[in-house]
Parts: sequence; structure tokens; C-alpha cells
Amino acid sequence: MSDNKRYWMDLGELHQQPEAIKGRENEFPQELAIDQVLGDPSFGKASTGRRDFLKFLGFGIGAATLAACETPVIKSIPYVNKPEDITPGVANWYASTFYDGEDFASILVKTREGRPIHIKGNPRFGINRNPALTKGSINARINSSVLSLYDNERLTSPMSKGAEGMTASSWSDADKAIGTALAGTGKRIVILTGTVISPSTTAAINALKAKYSAPDAAGVPATKVDHIQYDPISYSGVTSANQKSFGKRVFPSYDLTKADVIVSVDADFLSSWGSTTENTWQYSSRRQPGKGMNRHFQFEARMSLSGANADVRVPLKVSELPQAIVALHAHIAKGTGSSASGASAEVMAATETAAKALLAARGRSVVMSGSNNEGVQVLVNSINNMLGNYGTTIDLFGHTNFHQGNDAEVARLVENMNSGAIGALLIAGVNPAYTLPNADQFKAGLTQVPLSVSFSGYADETASLCTWVCPDHHALESWNDFNPKVGHYALAQPTIRPLFSTRQWQESLLAWSGSSSNYHDFIRSTWEANMAGLGYTTPFVDSWNTALHDGVITMGGASTEVITFAGDIPSATSVAQKSGEGAGEFELSLYTKESIGSGAHANNPWLQEMPDPLTKITWDNYVCMSPVDIERMGLNMYLGEQAPASLVTVKAGDREITLPAVVTPGQRTGTVSIALGYGRGANGERVGRAACTTDHEGNFVPVGKNAYPLTTFLNGVVGYDVLNVSVEKAGGTYPIAITQTHLTDMDRVSIVKETNLATFLGGEKRAYNHPHELAVHEDVNGDGVINALDKKPVAEFDLWEEHPVEGVGHRWGLSIDLNGCIGCGACITACNSENNISVVGKDEVRRSREMHWLRVDRYYSSATTKESAKQDGLGKIDMYLKMEVPEESPKVVFMPVMCQHCNHAPCETVCPVAATTHSNEGLNMMAYNRCIGTRYCANNCPYKVRRFNWFNYVSEKFGEVNPAWDDLGRMVLNPDVTVRARGVIEKCSMCVQQIQEGKLAAKKAGTPIKDGAIETACSAACGSGAIVFGDLNDKKSKVLEMATGDRSYHMLEEIGVKPSVNYLVKVRNTEEAAAHHA
Amino acid sequence: MHSEAAIREPLILGHKTYHDITNDIVGPIENKAPRGWYILITISALIAAYGTGCILYLISKGIGVWGLNKTVDWAWDITNFVWWVGIGHAGTLISAVLLLFRQKWRMAINRSAEAMTIFAVIMAATFPGIHMGRIWMGYWVLPLPNQFGSLWVNFNSPLLWDVFAISTYFSVSLVFWYIGLIPDFATIRDKVTKPGMKKVYGLLSFGWTGNAKAWTRFEEVSLVLAGIATPLVFSVHSVVSMDFATSIIPGWHTTIFPPYFVSGAVFSGFAMVQTLLLVLRKVMHMEAYITKKHVEYMNIVIIVTGSIVGVAYITELFISWYSGVEYESYAFINRATGPYWWAYWSMMTCNVISPQLFWSKKLRTNLAFTFFMSIIVNIGMWCWP
Repeated sequence: MSDNKRYWMDLGELHQQPEAIKGRENEFPQELAIDQVLGDPSFGKASTGRRDFLKFLGFGIGAATLAACETPVIKSIPYVNKPEDITPGVANWYASTFYDGEDFASILVKTREGRPIHIKGNPRFGINRNPALTKGSINARINSSVLSLYDNERLTSPMSKGAEGMTASSWSDADKAIGTALAGTGKRIVILTGTVISPSTTAAINALKAKYSAPDAAGVPATKVDHIQYDPISYSGVTSANQKSFGKRVFPSYDLTKADVIVSVDADFLSSWGSTTENTWQYSSRRQPGKGMNRHFQFEARMSLSGANADVRVPLKVSELPQAIVALHAHIAKGTGSSASGASAEVMAATETAAKALLAARGRSVVMSGSNNEGVQVLVNSINNMLGNYGTTIDLFGHTNFHQGNDAEVARLVENMNSGAIGALLIAGVNPAYTLPNADQFKAGLTQVPLSVSFSGYADETASLCTWVCPDHHALESWNDFNPKVGHYALAQPTIRPLFSTRQWQESLLAWSGSSSNYHDFIRSTWEANMAGLGYTTPFVDSWNTALHDGVITMGGASTEVITFAGDIPSATSVAQKSGEGAGEFELSLYTKESIGSGAHANNPWLQEMPDPLTKITWDNYVCMSPVDIERMGLNMYLGEQAPASLVTVKAGDREITLPAVVTPGQRTGTVSIALGYGRGANGERVGRAACTTDHEGNFVPVGKNAYPLTTFLNGVVGYDVLNVSVEKAGGTYPIAITQTHLTDMDRVSIVKETNLATFLGGEKRAYNHPHELAVHEDVNGDGVINALDKKPVAEFDLWEEHPVEGVGHRWGLSIDLNGCIGCGACITACNSENNISVVGKDEVRRSREMHWLRVDRYYSSATTKESAKQDGLGKIDMYLKMEVPEESPKVVFMPVMCQHCNHAPCETVCPVAATTHSNEGLNMMAYNRCIGTRYCANNCPYKVRRFNWFNYVSEKFGEVNPAWDDLGRMVLNPDVTVRARGVIEKCSMCVQQIQEGKLAAKKAGTPIKDGAIETACSAACGSGAIVFGDLNDKKSKVLEMATGDRSYHMLEEIGVKPSVNYLVKVRNTEEAAAHHA
Repeated sequence: MHSEAAIREPLILGHKTYHDITNDIVGPIENKAPRGWYILITISALIAAYGTGCILYLISKGIGVWGLNKTVDWAWDITNFVWWVGIGHAGTLISAVLLLFRQKWRMAINRSAEAMTIFAVIMAATFPGIHMGRIWMGYWVLPLPNQFGSLWVNFNSPLLWDVFAISTYFSVSLVFWYIGLIPDFATIRDKVTKPGMKKVYGLLSFGWTGNAKAWTRFEEVSLVLAGIATPLVFSVHSVVSMDFATSIIPGWHTTIFPPYFVSGAVFSGFAMVQTLLLVLRKVMHMEAYITKKHVEYMNIVIIVTGSIVGVAYITELFISWYSGVEYESYAFINRATGPYWWAYWSMMTCNVISPQLFWSKKLRTNLAFTFFMSIIVNIGMWCWP
């Protein structure tokens, strides 16, 4: 019924009146004059005049041009079929494992839209996990390794060497050629690798061993494949000593959490010696001031990272270090009722306090030595044995599998290569042509080997000499399994499809041994067999999936047997004594840096630009010398932008190296130290993005110089000390890129606060954390007189109104424990990676323009104070000058400094365009888009944490060092963080993108944000727990607990800017040690 | 005829008639400019071209071409800014303050001093402009309506105060200068014979007739503008000094800055007026108009302001010690004995010690010596920021 309803507007329409119909037809009252125009007879004759034509032309071109003036549209293409577990904008984290022969860590890899962009320690599993903090300890080399994945100098396909050099080949050609050559050779096939801790890799090597065999002398088929392990930084002496002492050629596992006393003789266990990712968290866990604080003695020639953290550091000459072990041994032997020959009276005295402390902590102490001398290490074993440390702090049965390299075998290999006994050499993970002391012999030998295959991802020093290069995947493209310690297994999984036509080297081995299995399946099958053997009962798929999810699985513990020390003390003593003989005018020790390590990471711009923890120098290696020697030789002491370093030549026999001399307070006078790992690609090899740079003249020059030729090969082990070198002024200078000048303590009591354990335990806060006070005109102390003694802490004065963030909503903050910070710098590279921080190159760093949002300031402390200066009658200038010269063995404090997010921020008030403002969560924010670059904020920042883009750092000019320049390098960028343009200021945002992500996650879950759920990149990277992030308005948060504790203070609190970052006073365990030292 | 009291020396030497004066002043415009003018303008043009080239290089490459770094974010730019603003002060002081104090001797030099002010302020504004990382966004410092919603400038920022101070100063100085120029343009209009030029000067002189009413108005406007401009003499450099004074940087955070900057500005401004006028006097043959008397008066101002500046330096040193803040005292000790000691001591010598020589009448009336000293003072003032 309702269907035929009619709608009408007026009655005329309803009744179909003709007027109405006509009116509707004539709705537009006038006819358009089209006919009139077209019908005009002159229309056809119309012509366009010259002027009109030019007008139309002008308009037409103008219109067309303007229409083209549009910002180019960069299309982002959505997934047609969205992968199940990738949501654009949401990061996926994969548990994996990092191992490169030098460092081991269980890691989490952050991927965004299928690209790995960040690495942090696995907070839940792994030997590097700090259980008290649930954080994975990691170092700068590990978290920076993600950048090497996107290195534009990686090989993109297998290469074969022909008459005209290296040419690209294909995998099928490579397999055919190499397979034929392997089968055809009648000589030995050698696989030269770093220390292999992977059960499946071992299985793959075994598969190759099984495939290639030949009848032996007796006619029995025997494999003609040898596997030789080679560590660029050798521990051969340590493992051999364990063989001699206990019959086990292993590197033991240390448990520093149980050590009350740590005595390290030249073992830089926090940076390079042993299992550093484990050592650091274990060490830091015992650095909390209190009854349980450990005491750390360090005897060394060079100021190492460990020495910088030590409570008592005794500088000794390199030649005295074996003596120190002999002396310690004598002390301990005496203390435990046996006897042993001692060392010189001087060294005996120097080691006495340490020995006493050790004897007082039997079974709760550890002695470590960085020496690669077997005799020294046997004595160390004996000391630890006498102290009863085996089974408590040192575990021989649950030993690590690290550092299995055998220098003697490598030496034999080089001989055999030269004598033509080697038919094929397969090299994986090592670069002997660069790292061997006798690299020249190795290179000569390589020409005698008919088939040499390198699995290197780069045409590096070794690979470029091989007949074939079969590039391995980057670790983040690879499957792998590891057995770092007895009973402890870890998995590494790929986080991206291989970028190039590379192949995992184990898979290459499998292919050449006739298996078509891919390495993933191979690992699974090895594991299936292994797990069954270890008595795993859950279905394999389940346990495999768990292991893959966690990255770690523990199976089968270590047996606990009784150990008996069987070392020959007298002979060890004489070997040790002998190793300290023949000292010359200068003694040289070679070391590896926190950033570059043994040199495998030299291609990494983040690491090259990371300042060395002690010298704060980037992009170079140099000769570390003591201030006394620098002064004596008349070399440049004070380095800076305008003050280059003097060049010196260090001669060791017929080998010499010319490098800039850098003053390193704490270096024992008469010794010099040089870092290994530099000077990569010296013969023009392309070993990665940042290993070489173009200088002003356009030459391609390596960063630093290679010091490996100065290592020695003596008594079957590689030695890193040369006791008789000459150091001569070479003439000329060399610019150095240094981020913090030396000798800058300057009585900075309101920046760094430090005390000793006794004072701290004394409980009087004012004694070690004195607030800055101002005299006021009222009787504060109640003595009836108003005078200068009436003071109030500066925190009670405020010109400004209380900021509305205090007590409302969130208020983000950081607490930084100066006791926890060991200065390793993992936070710096983590911040680089999270926040897309530009790498600017040596020249810009030299001009103090590095972009790091987070720096770790290093302060040496000196004995001169205002009071002592007054007593000595020094004038103010003399006092400051004297203060700037630290003692010969100064104390060191590391202090991470990032934007302090002041609640009365001086930067915010001065920006003319309000580009930097305060968030209602206490963050000092930076709107890059609004910034016009007046830099007033940076001027007015008391902490000098603001960074300016002096140039367009993402440009071709900086493309050589800045990964954000090319398409490949750009893949590492964090899409949540803007890449800053030229002319704007940037600074720490307290990882605001992480805060936002955490807030959203909590909001979605409908729960309050849990303390610890949000981490900044720096706090997540800090396995020592020195950097703690959290909500200061959360009453139960860790950060608040630290911020309100007795040790907490604000840097430069007297200027009243109310920072959101607070520091905890450094406490050194030195109450009686200080007396000895003085 | 111009008559002077017998006890007073005439301001214009040589017993000139009005006609002579007009001829002398308009002469350089009517006739071909003297050779010296061409030489000087060529030198100036070359320097200006070089400067422009440097600025273009700076803008194309980035601020990194200057030797600044993460702790020293301003150097060349702020020095030039402060120096040029200071130079500008003399013009306003001569034209406005001396007008209010009825110092007739200013008449011979006020126009050129004002012109110097205008150009000095343009120079001064250039440096904060080009020092910006993103100069193309520089207009954001102006409180303009924009497409970003309620986005506004930050009125707390001394840099914004600078924007207002400089722009106010520039506009007032410009108007003052131009108003003063109107009768001059009219004089030129009346003298030139080419019809085109007559038209141009006619336009520039706004139809000035020179009748008594116009002159009355002119005097009134001048007084009003002088009244407006006088506070600016003190406010502009005070505001500039607040760039430093309101910051928290040791050595900058000092309440003495506003008066100290203003006297420094007058000091350097007068020195610059001397530099320019002594050249002008020689090249344009203005010896009868710019007399030793002018030079002497200005030298007296230089002694006074130089001494004020000297007291300010010493006060700064005293306060840095008296405050007991070690950073503050270190900043000053480092200034005097650190890597830039030469700048500090040349400042002290040029600004404090050398002007004291003007106590000698013989020296302060010696033109060659005055010229030399004016250069010295300007070097000293450049070293000061």
C-alpha cells in the first residue's frame, strides 16, 4: 500500500497544471548562448594574436609546470598477503645467540617489518643473563653487530680467483670446482676455524672428514681432513696450563658472584679476557656497596677497563707481571703452609695486601692472569688450588668451550702449507693473513696450497688471497647452535632472509660432503640425536620449539669430580720468571679495545666512532704512554682539535710501527701499549664500510695500523708482550679525534661524588653525599647568631613553581649507579642503534661534533684538593693545574651522561620558537620539525648533551661512515625515530618511542605499566644494572627507590634545574687498601 | 647670516653662508663624486661581495663550515651580532639623545651617524639570521599566524626579545633618519636640474615646501621620535645582553650585563663614527663642517664610556671571585690565561687602557691619532664578546 505513495511540492505539480510543467522545463531561466556564439559568422575567422598566443602559451606552460610542482610521493606498499606474525609498526623480537669466537651472548633481536634493527641481551635466558636484574649482559661489539649485516662491502656471491683477480661465480660452479678439487687432492685437507662451540658445526666437519679419506700408512682408510682451531687472541697458554695442571685442556668457567676478592694480574676480564659478557654482570652484582661488596685488585701495566674499576690498582711493568704471580704464589704458599720461591722484594711487597685479602677469603676468591704464558698460568692454577677456589669460584668441570685454539697446531699448519703438504685449506671465521704474527709466512704458504677456500663475508686479507671465497651468511641470517658451557646449549636463528647470494659455511661443508640437507634440518637432526642421548624425554618438537623460543636450553649438567693439581711448580716458576727477563728501555703490551676487539668489527662505523672507555679516542689506535714518558720525550701531552698527537716509532727487533703517542694516565712508566685490530684492509682489500676511509687527498687509508705483526710466537704460543722495544720520536704529528680531553677532573665535586666503603657504612650521609648548601639570612643552626654557618641545602630553594608532573601521572626518570657502571660503552652503541644516531667520521669527531646522545664521561681523580692546595700554599691557577695532573696511578670514575630531562630545563626557556618543550610526563622533548637551529638551547644546557646537525650528515659526503646514507645501510634505521636533517638540534629523548610503545601495550592490556616493562635502549643494554629507567611517580619503582636513597644526588644540583636523572655516589672498597697505596 | 655668540666658537668654520653650505653639501650629489669615493666604494664592494660569497657558501653547506662544536655553539655569529648592534648605538645617541640635550654640534654628523646605525643594524640582523641551522625557516621567529594551529613563538626566549628589540630599533631608526632627510631631499630637489632627478627627489621629499609650518611640524616630529628613540638606545643592547645574562652559563650569567653592554655600545659606536667621519671628512672635503671640536667631543664620550666599560670588566672579575662559584671564577681565569688570553688582553688594552690617553687634550684633538684609536677601540670591542 505504501508503495504508490506520491510526493509533491505544490498543488500545481500535483494536478499536472501546464504552467507548472512549463516552469519546470524552464528551470534555468535563460537559454545558454551557445548557438549564438557558435553561429557567429566571425567565429570561424577568429585568430589569435601574437600577444594572445604568448599569453596562452605562458599560462599553459605555467599551469603545467605548477601542476608538476608537488612533493614527490613515496609510496609505501601494504602487504597484499600480510604475513601472519608481522604487523607493520610492531616490532618482533627473536631469541638468538651471538658468537664470533670472541664474544658470546644470548640475545634478543628486534625486527621491524622483517628487518633486524637492534640487539639486546636476552633478559630471561643464557649465561650472560643477570638473574637479579633479569637483564642480559651484552657489550658494544655484540649490539653493534646488527649494523654489519647491512654493510655495502659484503660479498654478494661466491668469488673465484682467476688470472685477472677475483671474479663473481655461482654456487653450482663453486660446488663443482671445490668438490672436484677436494676429492682429487692426495694431500691433507685442513679446516681452519675459530673455536667451534657448535655441536652441529662439529658434526658437519665430521661429515666432511668422513667423506674425504685416504688409506693411511697401514692401508687403513683414514680421513685426510684435519680441523684446526685458531683464536686470533690466543688463550693457548691458559688451556695448556690446565692440561698440565689438571689434565683438562679447557678454559674454566668463573663464577664471580661467589668471589669476595678478585685479584687480576693483567686480565682485563671486564673487556676482553675470558667470557666477558658473563664476567661483567657477575662482577657488578658484587659491587653494591655494603657488606657483600667484593674487593678487586688489579696489577697491570696499561690502564685497562678492569683496572679502572679496581679498588686497588698497582701499576707494574710488563716484565714484572709474571713476577707478581710468582710473588702471589709465594705469599699464598706461605699462608697455606707450604713454601715456594719468591720474587724480588719490591714485587713481594706490592702483592702483599692482595695476598692477605686472598688468604682471608679462601674459597671465596679468584686469581686471574691475562698472560698467555703456560708457566704463569700453572702458577695461577696452583694459587687458586691452594686457596680452594676450584669448585666455588672456578669451575673446571662445568668449563666453557671457549678458547680451544691451539697455537702450536696453527704454527705447524703454516709450516706444512709452505712445504706443500696441504692440498686444501678451508678457512672459516678467522683471518690469519691479518692476525697471525707470521702472517707473511702464512701468505707465502697459501700460494702453495692448490685449493684455498675462505668463507669470509668480505674479500678480506685472507679471503682475497684464496682461490675461492664462499661467503658465509651474516650471523643474523644464519641458523646455528652452540654449546658454550657444559650442559648449556643455545640456538641462533635467522631474523632476515639472506640479503645476498651467500650460503652458510656449514651448509657448504655439508654440500661438499655429499649431503643435500640444509643446515636448519641438519641442526635439528643433530639435536634430536643429542637430546635423546642426554635423556630428554619430552617430544623433540616441543623441546626444540622451547629451545628456539628461549634461545637457550640446559641439558645434562657437569659432573663433580675431585680435582688434583698436578702442575710442576718449580719448572712453572722458572718458565714464569724467564718470561719476565730481557726487559729493555720500554716494554710493550698489545691489547684489544672495547670497541673493535680483535679486528673483526673494524668495518662497523658505530664501533669505530665509539670512544674508547679510557682514552676517549675514536677512529684510531695509538701508542699509550705514561705522562712521565710523554713529558720526558717531549711529546704532545694535551690533545685536542688543534693539538695533534706526536708520532712515535715503536721498534721491536726488525718490526716497527709508527703511531701517534697518547698520554694515558695510569700507564706504568716505561711501558707502552698498542691496540690490536686496526689497520684492516692495508693492501686495498675491501673489508667493510668503516675499516678504511678516504683522506683529504682522496686516498683510501685504513683506520689505524695493524699491530699484529708485533705479536710474538714463542714456545708454541702467541705472546702479546714484547719486553724490549725502543720508542722514538718519529717527527710529525697526527690528528686525533678525542671526545673528552684528558686531565679534566678539576675539583668537580658537584659532578662526580665518590667515597670509600668504610665511610659509606659509617652511615652518615653528609659524610659522602653532602648536599650543596647556600648561606641564608636566618638562624638555621640555632646558635643565636646569623652567620656563614647558617646554611640550607640548595634543593630547598626554587625560583620556579613546582612542576605539575611531580606526583601526577607518569614522571619518567633514570637512576644511574656509578658503582654499577664499569664504563664498557654498550649503552652508547645501543643508543646509536635505537635512535638512528648519525656517525659523523673522524674529522667531525675531532671538531667535537660527535652526535652521541649518550656519553660516558671518564674522570681521573687526583690527590690534590682545595685543602691540600691551601696547605701547600698553591695559588688558584697552580692548584687547578696541579689538580689536572692525576697521580701516576689515578682512580677512575665512569659517568654515563645523557639529557637530564630537567624539570626546570634551561634549554626550554630560551628556544625562540618553542621547539623544545616539557611533556606532562617530565620529558624534555625536542620537535625537530620546529627547530630552526639557533643552538641557544645547546649553549644554555649545563650538561652539554644537545647535539647539532652541523652538516647534512645523511649525505654523500658522510656516506662513507654514516650507514644511513645508502639503501642497504638505511635498513638498520629504526622506523620509529626520525632521521634528523641538517640544521636541527637533537638529543636524548629517553627513548620516548619505547615509552609510547609500553604505554600502549599497558593500555591495551588494561593494566598499569609494570615497573621494568619499559626500558630505554641504554638501560636495556646495561647488564650491570647501572642504568635504571622507570616512573618516578610509581611509589614502588626501582628507579624511585634508587633516586630517594642515601647515595642519590643530582649532577650540578646547585644550579637548580631539577633533573630527572640522578646519580648514585661511587663507593670504592678501599678502607685499608688506601693506606697501603699511599 | 648665521651668527654666533662671541664667546662660542662657530660650529662651522670658514664663515660660510647658507648658500655656501648648500653648495658644499649637495656638491657631491650634483657633481661627479671625487676619485677617493670610487676607490673606497670599490674596496667596500669587494669586501661585501666576498662576504656575500661566504654567506652563500655557509647556507649551501651548513653551519659546520664555521669552527663551532658541541660545547661552543656560538662564536663568530654572536660576536658580529653584538658588535654591530653596539656600533648602531652611536647614531641613535647622537641623533636622539643629543637632540634632547640640545647639543647643536650634532647637526654636522647626525645624518651620517644615523645612516651608519641603519646599516649597522642591518648587519647585526644578518648574523642571527645566517647563524640559524635552517635559515629558510627563520621567519618562524616572528609571531605570524600560521597553518600549524595554535603554534606560537616562545615569549620567554631572549632570542625572541632580540627579534622585537632589533626590529623596533630598526624601524624607529629608519623613520627618524628618513624624517630628517626630508628637508635635505627637498634641498636637492630644488638644486638638481635634470627633470628625472627632480621628480625622484620630489617624491622622496614628500612635497616639502620649507614653510614655517612645515618646519614647526618637523621639529615636533623630531622631538617625538627622539623621545621614542632615546629609550631604545638603552633597551636594545640591554635586551641583547640578556641573551647572556638570562642564561646559566658561567661567565654569561651576570646581572651587570645590561648597563655594561649599553656603555660598551656607545663606546664602540662613537669609535666607529670617528672612523667613518674622519675618512668622509678627508675624501669629501668636509673639513669646515666636521671640525676638531666634533672629534674632541666624541673622544670625551669615548673616555667616559671606555672607563665605564673598564669598571664593568673589573666588577665582573671581582664578582666572579666574590661569588665563590668555582666555575664562575674558572671561566674568568680561563678567559684571561686560557687559550684565548690574547683576545682578553687585547680587549683590556684596547678598551680600557688606550682610551685613557684621551685625557690629554693634545691627543684627543689630533685627528690622525683619533683615527688610529677609533680602529683600536673597535678591535677591542670585537674581542670583547
